[in-house]
Amino acid sequence: MSQSPSIQISKGGDNFLSRARLVLARRTEGRGTALLIALLVFVSLSQPLVFTAYPVTLGRIALVGLVALGLTAVILMGELDLSVASTLAVSGVIMALIPNLWLGITVALGVGLVIGVVNAFFVAVVGINSFIATLGTLFSLRGLAFVLSNEEPVRISNVDAGIAFGTPLIGPITPRILIFVLAFIAIQVFVSRVKAGREFFAVGGNRQAAFDAGIPVRRRIFTGFMISGFVASLAGVMNTLERTSADPRAGQTVLLASFAAAIIGGNYLKGGRGSIVGTLIGATSLGLLQVALTLSGVQVPVQNIFIGLILLVAVTSDPASVRVVLGSIKSARQGASKARSRETEKSVTDR
Amino acid sequence: MTKLNSSGAKVTSTAGLEAKPISNSFLPWVANNGILIFTALLIVGSALFVDGFASLQNITDVFHRAAPIGIVAAGMTFVVISGNYLDLSVVAQVASSAVIFIAVSNIYGLPVAMIACFVCAVMYSLVNGLAVGYFKANAVIVTLSTTYIGLGLLRFFSGGSIFFGPEDGPIRAFGTGKIGPVPYSAIVLILVTVLLSILLTRTNFGFLVRSFGVNEAATRLGGTNTGMVIIGAFFVTSMAAMVAGWVLASFSNTAVSANGEGYEFQALAAIIVGGTSVFGGKGSVLRTLLGVVFVSVLTNVLVILNISFGYQQVALGILIVIAVSVDAVSRKVGKQ
Repeated sequence: MSQSPSIQISKGGDNFLSRARLVLARRTEGRGTALLIALLVFVSLSQPLVFTAYPVTLGRIALVGLVALGLTAVILMGELDLSVASTLAVSGVIMALIPNLWLGITVALGVGLVIGVVNAFFVAVVGINSFIATLGTLFSLRGLAFVLSNEEPVRISNVDAGIAFGTPLIGPITPRILIFVLAFIAIQVFVSRVKAGREFFAVGGNRQAAFDAGIPVRRRIFTGFMISGFVASLAGVMNTLERTSADPRAGQTVLLASFAAAIIGGNYLKGGRGSIVGTLIGATSLGLLQVALTLSGVQVPVQNIFIGLILLVAVTSDPASVRVVLGSIKSARQGASKARSRETEKSVTDR
Repeated sequence: MTKLNSSGAKVTSTAGLEAKPISNSFLPWVANNGILIFTALLIVGSALFVDGFASLQNITDVFHRAAPIGIVAAGMTFVVISGNYLDLSVVAQVASSAVIFIAVSNIYGLPVAMIACFVCAVMYSLVNGLAVGYFKANAVIVTLSTTYIGLGLLRFFSGGSIFFGPEDGPIRAFGTGKIGPVPYSAIVLILVTVLLSILLTRTNFGFLVRSFGVNEAATRLGGTNTGMVIIGAFFVTSMAAMVAGWVLASFSNTAVSANGEGYEFQALAAIIVGGTSVFGGKGSVLRTLLGVVFVSVLTNVLVILNISFGYQQVALGILIVIAVSVDAVSRKVGKQ
């Protein structure tokens, strides 16, 4: 990054501080890092057990993070995949229903890909907004999970495999954490080094320009939704293996947390900006928070207050949109109404 | 277009993705008027072929079930028409309103309970409206987070317990009372629909909501405080959800924080099936009422036929996607 002379023409470029500022201004992980540092300080003071019980914490981070990784691929293109929560449940149930372990896993992952294709079809070909399309599939697939499982948890037939899946390989590294790390590396390499992945940013930044530049926009949207569907079903399979049973209600707590992780990680919802590393930072902070709250005996609905607040602040405090808001307030309103808007803004960001 | 019309244009800006015209005017016509025919067909068909549908008791039941969903849907129509997709937090709002209504009226009486519900609804609409209207945040994500914040707070303060109203209070009288075969709740639904329909079609505010949905930038450049319009749209939704919470609580004279589960989805289904466009700007409250009738009759028939909850959800989800697809494709056809 220090080797990019064309951008650093400004005479302060050799100054260390201004170079650091340039790097910082390009990155999008600022808010995620701030949250992570704050949480690390807070957790190490109030609930140090989180670090002692690090296998649990790592497992939680892996669960939240895996779904968030898939989401990031879609968010980079300015779309959204709400259906991940139900994809997780459906693929888990399907896997548990098939007696043969490996066949079950294969079919479940295939179902995830198919769900991604269906979502992408409605978004890219029919032209429905992805929020509405994936909301429809979110509820349909939840219903499907209930239908397939007869509205009760399904036990997997091969319990030994489930137990084997939960035992650590080396140190605290369980297969789940290993898969998460591999998925992180794969997606990171894909969006930063592979041409198709780089094009996600272009599609999200300006779809018309991307189309005019010859990027197959439609195919990229299909790729993105297939990644998110596949990763969500992978999370479902891992969940089922670890608990040795598939719950059709699974994934409801993951939905909020994974969205919060992806968005606090600096992935801009309108697309084109963001990073996989940011998602990892976001997932780490939310995993820490969830484990710390659970250890303190806080119930899940009450935990969701904190995660919901983080998501609300994350989605309203995007640096670009805050700048736009401030600018529009400055130019459009004067006098009393100006003061009032600033106050209201403050009250929201202060939460 | 993408730059200016930040909320509504995401779909229209899928450049180069336009479908070929299917036929000249059939789809737009279906998107506009299809629901009338489908509703009529559904009602006639189920009256003829489904045993027990046409009984007076069952029709009262349909009204009963439709009332709170219909009230929520009538309010949420404003958010949808303003081009902000939907308000997911109606689930939390209905539950909060129901629990506060019963719990507070048990201690302090009905008027205080109503004021408490009103304050709660105002807070929901302020948070949603400020984040969406002034911070230009995505409405789906904002209302998703307020849903969980609201439900969490409700769970924290109520402890998840069930609240019972007094056996012979006005709440119970309202919940069980009816004029002829029509329960009070259905009358409230009609009243709310008429009131909100007037608000949307005959007032300045309603005009601004619709014009915001058509073209946000033009509305703003025309000198409108667009942030306030969005807050207003969310306020109408919150008020409707509050009333729906009261109606729901009065049915069984009980309230619990799980009240209103699935309402956001059924209300959205009703709105979209009614012909209000998720792309904003087009739709009406009366159409939503028609959509509510359709969705309620459909779920009622599915229940009578003893089809499980899972299949009902699948059916509703597919219904939404089909309705939006028809709308999306008919828009493209209409443009050409």
